[in-house]
Amino acid sequence: MSGQHPEQLPELVRLAASAAGMEASLSRRGFLLLSACAVTSLAALGLCEALGAGAPLVILDNAQGMILADPSRCVGCQRCELACTEFNDGRAQPSLSRIKIDRALNFGPAGPTGGSTGGSIGGSGMQGLWGNGLVVQGVCRQCPHPVPCATACPEDAIQADPRTGARVVDAKKCVGCRLCQRACPWGMISFDEERQKASKCFLCDGRPKCVEACPAGALRYVPWRDLTREGQTVQTPLAVLSAAKAKACMECHVPARRKPKAR
Amino acid sequence: MNAAESAGPTAALTEATTAALTEATTAALTEAAIEAVRAASREGRLATLAEVLAALAAGGHFGPPEGQAEGQPDGQAGNQPEGQAMGQPADHAGPAQAGEEAAAPLASDTASMLPGIPPEVLAGILAAQPDLASFQSLSGQTVYHAPDLLSRTYARILDRKGSPLVLLAEEIRANSRDYPRPVPVELFEAPPFGLTPEEIGHVLQALAADPAHQDITFTTTPAGAVYLFSTRHLERGYAAFLAQRAESLSMNP
Amino acid sequence: MAATPGGFSGKVLRVDLSTGKISTEDTVEKYGDVLGGTGLGYRVLWEEVPPGVGSFDPANKLVFATGVLAGTGVPCNGRTAVTTIFPTCWPRQLVGSGHMGGQFAAKLKYAGFDAIIVEGRSERPVWLFIRDARVELRSAAHLWGTGIRRASLEISQEMGADCVVAAIGQAGEQLAPMAIVANSLSHSAGGVGGVMGSKNLKAIGVQGSGAVKIAGDKGEWEKLIKFHLSILGGNNQHVVPSFPTPQSEYYNPGSRWVGEPGRRWGAAEPPVEITGNIFDLNRIAYRTNSAAFFLGEGAWRHTVRGNGCTACPIRCHTVVKVPSVAAKYGIREVAQNTCTGLLFGRSFFKRLPGGMQGQAALEACMVGMHLADDLGVWCNYGQLQRDLQKLYYDGLLKTKLGAAEYASIPWDKYEAGDPAFLFDILPRIGERRGELGQVLSQGTGGLFTHWSIPEETWARDHNTLYWKQGHPKHHANEDDGQCGVIINTQYNRDSQCHSHSNFVRNGLPLAVQKKLAAEVWGSPDAVDGVGNYTPMNVHKARRARWSLVRKELHDSLGLCNWMGPWVASPLKERGYRGDDSLESRFYSLATGQKLDREALDRAGERIFTLHRALTLRGMGEVDLRAQHDLTPHWVFADPSGAAPFSKGAIRMDEADISRGMDQFYEVMGWDRATGAPTMETYARLGLKDVGADLKARKLVPGDPA
Repeated sequence: MSGQHPEQLPELVRLAASAAGMEASLSRRGFLLLSACAVTSLAALGLCEALGAGAPLVILDNAQGMILADPSRCVGCQRCELACTEFNDGRAQPSLSRIKIDRALNFGPAGPTGGSTGGSIGGSGMQGLWGNGLVVQGVCRQCPHPVPCATACPEDAIQADPRTGARVVDAKKCVGCRLCQRACPWGMISFDEERQKASKCFLCDGRPKCVEACPAGALRYVPWRDLTREGQTVQTPLAVLSAAKAKACMECHVPARRKPKAR
Repeated sequence: MNAAESAGPTAALTEATTAALTEATTAALTEAAIEAVRAASREGRLATLAEVLAALAAGGHFGPPEGQAEGQPDGQAGNQPEGQAMGQPADHAGPAQAGEEAAAPLASDTASMLPGIPPEVLAGILAAQPDLASFQSLSGQTVYHAPDLLSRTYARILDRKGSPLVLLAEEIRANSRDYPRPVPVELFEAPPFGLTPEEIGHVLQALAADPAHQDITFTTTPAGAVYLFSTRHLERGYAAFLAQRAESLSMNP
Repeated sequence: MAATPGGFSGKVLRVDLSTGKISTEDTVEKYGDVLGGTGLGYRVLWEEVPPGVGSFDPANKLVFATGVLAGTGVPCNGRTAVTTIFPTCWPRQLVGSGHMGGQFAAKLKYAGFDAIIVEGRSERPVWLFIRDARVELRSAAHLWGTGIRRASLEISQEMGADCVVAAIGQAGEQLAPMAIVANSLSHSAGGVGGVMGSKNLKAIGVQGSGAVKIAGDKGEWEKLIKFHLSILGGNNQHVVPSFPTPQSEYYNPGSRWVGEPGRRWGAAEPPVEITGNIFDLNRIAYRTNSAAFFLGEGAWRHTVRGNGCTACPIRCHTVVKVPSVAAKYGIREVAQNTCTGLLFGRSFFKRLPGGMQGQAALEACMVGMHLADDLGVWCNYGQLQRDLQKLYYDGLLKTKLGAAEYASIPWDKYEAGDPAFLFDILPRIGERRGELGQVLSQGTGGLFTHWSIPEETWARDHNTLYWKQGHPKHHANEDDGQCGVIINTQYNRDSQCHSHSNFVRNGLPLAVQKKLAAEVWGSPDAVDGVGNYTPMNVHKARRARWSLVRKELHDSLGLCNWMGPWVASPLKERGYRGDDSLESRFYSLATGQKLDREALDRAGERIFTLHRALTLRGMGEVDLRAQHDLTPHWVFADPSGAAPFSKGAIRMDEADISRGMDQFYEVMGWDRATGAPTMETYARLGLKDVGADLKARKLVPGDPA
């Protein structure tokens, strides 16, 4: 590892390296060389917290747990959605729920315009009540880096909860711009119209109400794994980054020609 | 609870054992004995005195702590996804179950302190527990269970499983007496009875031939379903009515 | 009443189809004292629909009303009452209501409405579009003539995946009294589809993104909901399973709690085995399987999953998959419904190859659901099918129906128990084709009139299960002796009350039931063993009153009276007690308006009394005892001549029932001679104005006729 002096490193990386005790030995390129594993391992070292309140937040520690949903057990009662909003927010409101059943109940992701109803002869495409009966629950994947909602947030209002690693919206910081909503490929960000704040699954601080509420045991709270490559996305994410964030991203994501040759 | 043993553990203790048993060790022993019964109930078994004694011995209550169970902290799953808190596999069942299976913590200081405990003393201890129940099994032994985990009804069924004749007769009588109702013969094919139609047929023939079971009889509905009842508790006409009604329930939404 | 900070959505939507005018009013201010649901419906009819208005007159109104607890997480909510002048009520059309579950109630509340009052008549077919505060009437020209499923799909295409559509099929369009409105595929309200058709209203589509607020502390709310879940049993609140379990002292082979470890949803992909502790709250949805209960154990193999209303963990609408029907009949292989809806097709047949739980029975059910839930035909709690059986097997039909039409019907298939028969008969009824289709689609009263058949012919034949006014019994003496009889005398359609039958069928031993009865109704004598009836006593009268009041309460709160009340539970540690104050505790927390059990029951009684007042006014007759609260002859007869109160006889004694009515009227505060509420009773219930109106019409007891 050779190259620039630590003092020439941009603030973010310097801070990161400093927190990891690698300041002296780490150059920008060195950091990038490590990138694949570094993100995870640095994150594991607690860098995210160390980045401090002021720094644009790019890398979040992986979550510890996630909610795992089994569609073949789902009975479509929406008790999870109601537990999510009643027990957390004091109101029954599936549109605010951080687990999403309502939208999949009738037709599944194909929607009512998505083709013939499954269950009829030759039909296959449609799920839900009007299709083959299957209800595929929408659950937050608690994405690994880059966390689309957190990255999209110009206010750094979506951070990893130190207790669970859940990506949570800090309502104090959220300005209600809805960019996070547009960034989630799975449409898992809710927007609380009453408070004008975004809201998302925060794993109920480690005791998910939805899991407890399911009368069919279709939901489980399990150790996290990367689910971002599974399941159908429900929207094309809108990739808008604030200037500060983009700059921070660019510190790592440099043009390929500037990368040193491998090995 | 057996009336003879209702005086409580202290009264039943022999002098020698009393000397050996301090208050603290009695409490620990009692707790372990209760847990042994509860563990059996949880697994759907009736516990015999011998089994409880064996559990106590295995738990290190008498003699050297051979293969002593590791006392586990009472794990709470808070803030942890299931499976993590206790190092259990991730596909372990419900959210509230982490920690449920943990072995009861055994106070290691009770180990080696007792040379053993007379079975009748243990029986006295168990008999005094308000949350445990016991009865004399068909084999003649006293068996114990925790009714909140293993109901009295279910316990009796388990005990009688080895003797299909008694099983059917007593179940039919209880149904005729308590609800009251005759029961469809197919009931005994399903769990927890699990008898084959042939076995049921043999039992019914045996019951018909047995003078002690002349009260067990049957009625056939117009649709041909057979319902069993006891004439000790149900008149034939009423049983026929109840059978027909039971059969019609799925026609009367 | 002042607006409450929670529970109610706050607005009632009023849609005048004649003028296209859409307006709203404040729910609590105007209807708070009658809560919602049937209470709200009765109030609207009382104030706005003069006596004598027929079901299909533009002056009739149709009130879709949910309640305070609909849309919340309270278990077993999700109900919408549809109240109107009821088309199948015979010989005079009077107030009645159909009830549907599904997702409609919750969606309507999230859109901001507790109810919709539909009035007038549109010139052209329309459907009502509701997206939160945006409400429009849209053309249904392209939907007219379509079945419920197509109408629902096309409206969903126009609105989006997350809407709920309540639509009528061909039967409703053609003003069949025997027509339903249905939402969410299988959740229907009977008898009111034709009223929608008469107004040229094809459907209501609702999308709602708002909230039902909980006024009280959310922690308390969570606690109460979990408590309620803990005292739930299976369907119909049967609190003991159908099999012995380690967790319960009791079981009942006749229980609707049929799900147990070892069973599996065989048509799920992959199959779902029921494992673990069936008493666990994360296993409630596995307890009920309506298909297995009604169609036998073989139905487990075809079970995809349970389905049902918003927030209900019971899931009584079992989703079944029967691939063979796709090839054999060309219909959908997946279907769902419960009870009479599930059995719609099977109920036509007197005999089926393989019996009532065999393969033909299953196929008949599949074909029945496919046709009836799309054409929108109502079964009138099985009366439609029993009527056809009676007409056919008694030879009446041959004498009444033209020979050509009679010969055109495949009776061979009917007799052979061939489900293909349904492809002939159901479209006849749904599309009102031919004389038979016309007559059967009118309901039982209609067929009496059309063919000049004396009502007696039905009322003397126990097999018809016919009760009165064109409708059958609904859990009467066969389940609950005098209580059942009294309850069945009270409505203008089948009584639909389950407060009483859910208790007597709950599966607990008689001694335990009597212990609970003593606590809830003041005496163990309030319940008898079934078919071991004892003479009438006042405790039974009190239980009948309680049952009716709770039924109206549930219908007005958005709760399901097919599940409630919850006065028994599966919990050994509670001595199998449930909780008689649940409804009021939920109401108080949701609305922030504290009402104890007695106060909320008073609201239920007010609502029930309003129904009584509407019946009095509609009939123009004060002597309801003699003219309305009738019991059919078969109730007083036993096929083998058994005496009343002999063991195994369900027949009642006429004098004893008369005494029962005396006692019932007395506990209601109604006049014994006429069964009409007294002025004091109206006043006690805050219905002074209603009493005064009836007094002016000489419909209050004590007035000179």
